[in-house]
Amino acid sequence: MNAHSKPRDLSLRPLAALVPTLLALTLSACGGGGGGSGGGDTHPPPSADRQVSLEFSAQAGQTPVGCGTPIAALGSGAVQAELNDLRFYVSELALVKADGTAETVQLAANEWQLPESGVALIDLEDGTGACADRGTAATNAAITGTVPAGNYTGLRMTLGVPSSHNHTDTAAAPAPLDIQAMAWSWQAGRKFVKIEVAPVGGVYRPANPDATPPITEGQSPRWNLHLGSTGCTGNPVSGETVSCAAPNRVVLHFDNFNVDTQRLVLDLQTLLLSSNLSIDLGGPYGCMSGKTDPECPAVFETMALDMESGLTVDRGRNQRIFRIEAR
Amino acid sequence: MKRSHAESMAPVSLRAAWLVPLCAALLACGGGGTSIEDRGIHIPGGDIALEVPKFFPAPRIPADSPLTRARVALGRHLFHDPRLSGNGTQSCGSCHHQDKAFTDGLPVAIGSTGEAHPRNSQGLANVVYNATLTWANPSLVTLEKQMETPLFGEDPVEMGVNDANSATVLARLSGDADYPARFAAAFPGDPAPIQWPNIIAAISAFQRTLISGNSRYDRFLRGELQLAPSEERGRLLFFGEKAECFHCHGSFNFNDQVVHASSRVVETPFHNTGLFNIDGNGGFPYPNRGVFELTGRPADMGAFRAPSLRNVEVTAPYMHDGTMATLEEVLDFYAAGGRVIQRGPHAGDGRMNPFKSDLIAQIQLDETEKADIIAFLKTLTDHDFLANPAFSDPFANADR
Repeated sequence: MNAHSKPRDLSLRPLAALVPTLLALTLSACGGGGGGSGGGDTHPPPSADRQVSLEFSAQAGQTPVGCGTPIAALGSGAVQAELNDLRFYVSELALVKADGTAETVQLAANEWQLPESGVALIDLEDGTGACADRGTAATNAAITGTVPAGNYTGLRMTLGVPSSHNHTDTAAAPAPLDIQAMAWSWQAGRKFVKIEVAPVGGVYRPANPDATPPITEGQSPRWNLHLGSTGCTGNPVSGETVSCAAPNRVVLHFDNFNVDTQRLVLDLQTLLLSSNLSIDLGGPYGCMSGKTDPECPAVFETMALDMESGLTVDRGRNQRIFRIEAR
Repeated sequence: MKRSHAESMAPVSLRAAWLVPLCAALLACGGGGTSIEDRGIHIPGGDIALEVPKFFPAPRIPADSPLTRARVALGRHLFHDPRLSGNGTQSCGSCHHQDKAFTDGLPVAIGSTGEAHPRNSQGLANVVYNATLTWANPSLVTLEKQMETPLFGEDPVEMGVNDANSATVLARLSGDADYPARFAAAFPGDPAPIQWPNIIAAISAFQRTLISGNSRYDRFLRGELQLAPSEERGRLLFFGEKAECFHCHGSFNFNDQVVHASSRVVETPFHNTGLFNIDGNGGFPYPNRGVFELTGRPADMGAFRAPSLRNVEVTAPYMHDGTMATLEEVLDFYAAGGRVIQRGPHAGDGRMNPFKSDLIAQIQLDETEKADIIAFLKTLTDHDFLANPAFSDPFANADR
């Protein structure tokens, strides 16, 4: 498929040569509306690739979220909180036509994207303020690449790293799979999502002698969401990690999405809607994807993930991580 | 050069230094694949031979991780160098003391920032043969992958290297008078060799040379000595159906997860030995629920890897959480078929843990028999290994 070789060619062309093509494609993509009703077969073959830039932002409701600016009301307790970290991996990004056919976005090569893996890292923390001891100065709010020209009406992507690249050695991996903070060494993989917030008053763990196991009183400054594959098994003969019982990748479908005029907003308010950030009932503080972690069911539900299987529920239809907004 | 008593043993004895030069290995092997000869095992691509007893299988050395003299020497330095931690206070060797078979004598390890690890530091003798690494993790199957946890882990912090201080740590090595040449020799052709993948590769190479095979028991197997009567009675109990120790500790390495050069299929069993039963439903305390911590599968509750018992005399305290101080306590525990905790948050009858291994049943052992088994276990102490200068801290008697 020649689409795989085209992005690099395209990226080398002078920008001026691109402008007419892009303009035409953008117009056809936006203006055509539901032109795909006749079926993809009747369209002329794509004459060129088009650029894609999928933009992300982080908000709590309508308020932008960033390091150093207190977030007004998070979680079921509507507690004020500081952002400590906010990064996530996206893979298998594709634009979808009205007839349901999808074209994988060929990622541009840069330090945030690894084209051969289809993985991009979105980093919405800048290492300032309360993110200082976790984050990094560099940020990345967009995934860039190309798809064959066509009328696209939707978008599909996976929150997570494909199994083929999830278990590589972080210290030896190419960017953006080389970020130690995103490594999840004890699970031999990576954190797909790393969202950490510090609620005012901290996170309190009440003693519960009747729990299984009994819980002793505790306190943490931080509530963490670490999403990643769990229950992984390696092959000692080949030295490879071969399978994980719970993949915990969120496969998201946005049936009506215009990548040129809209963006995906990660909304901490809806993501943490049912999570009480001030109280932790056991396991790690927050949710680190453990099957018996009392804080995981609420946030897995808003991520449209089934706790037991680790699979996305109903194509992510009821997910409350992202919402669509105009750019 | 100081030679240990091994050299003065019977004619078949192996030398204390387990590494022999390439020339010897080449003469013996004549090239080709991994082969075993009297003195050592030559790993293709490397320039040293790994010397193991004849009754050990050939170790599996990944093709992309050749054992070379330069790599192993570099790895030995890095392993013992506290500059490798984020705050410069702790080396791998801080929690892995050679004289304790690379354990640290503490119930649980303490990281470079003072944070307590939930688990007991594990020994590194014969770690090249481990099919999985650490106490209970089916996903960690290479030393390289395992090392990312102590180096970079955040929960708990061990060596405390992170994205923010990684460059600083590397700069400490680059600015050293010695390391640039060592890295260049270990990774020829690499224009900028002072990088984490090479650090990990070098330490792994060093770890793969940590062969322990010259205990009294090994010399007994070689016909060099007779075991004392108590040791011999203990040996028969250990390998017999009465004490049944061998089910989980029966390999040449005294464990039940072994990978080697000829392995095709490797089983990686994990066992619940009835240490806890805090809710009557088999519960172990978080975050020490064994493989369950990774899988959440009920059957994995309390399941841990059986560690090698080589050098077990010097690796106290015992169990994944270091809660047993002596071998006598361990023997009492296994004889009882589990542990009863009378009071406190962990109270419960571990003997009745529903996930307990069927291999752990009450056994009638009198005090003499327990003492005999312990006497046998002490024959597994390899004093050459514990004092082998090839494994020692190169900074111990030198100004850095």
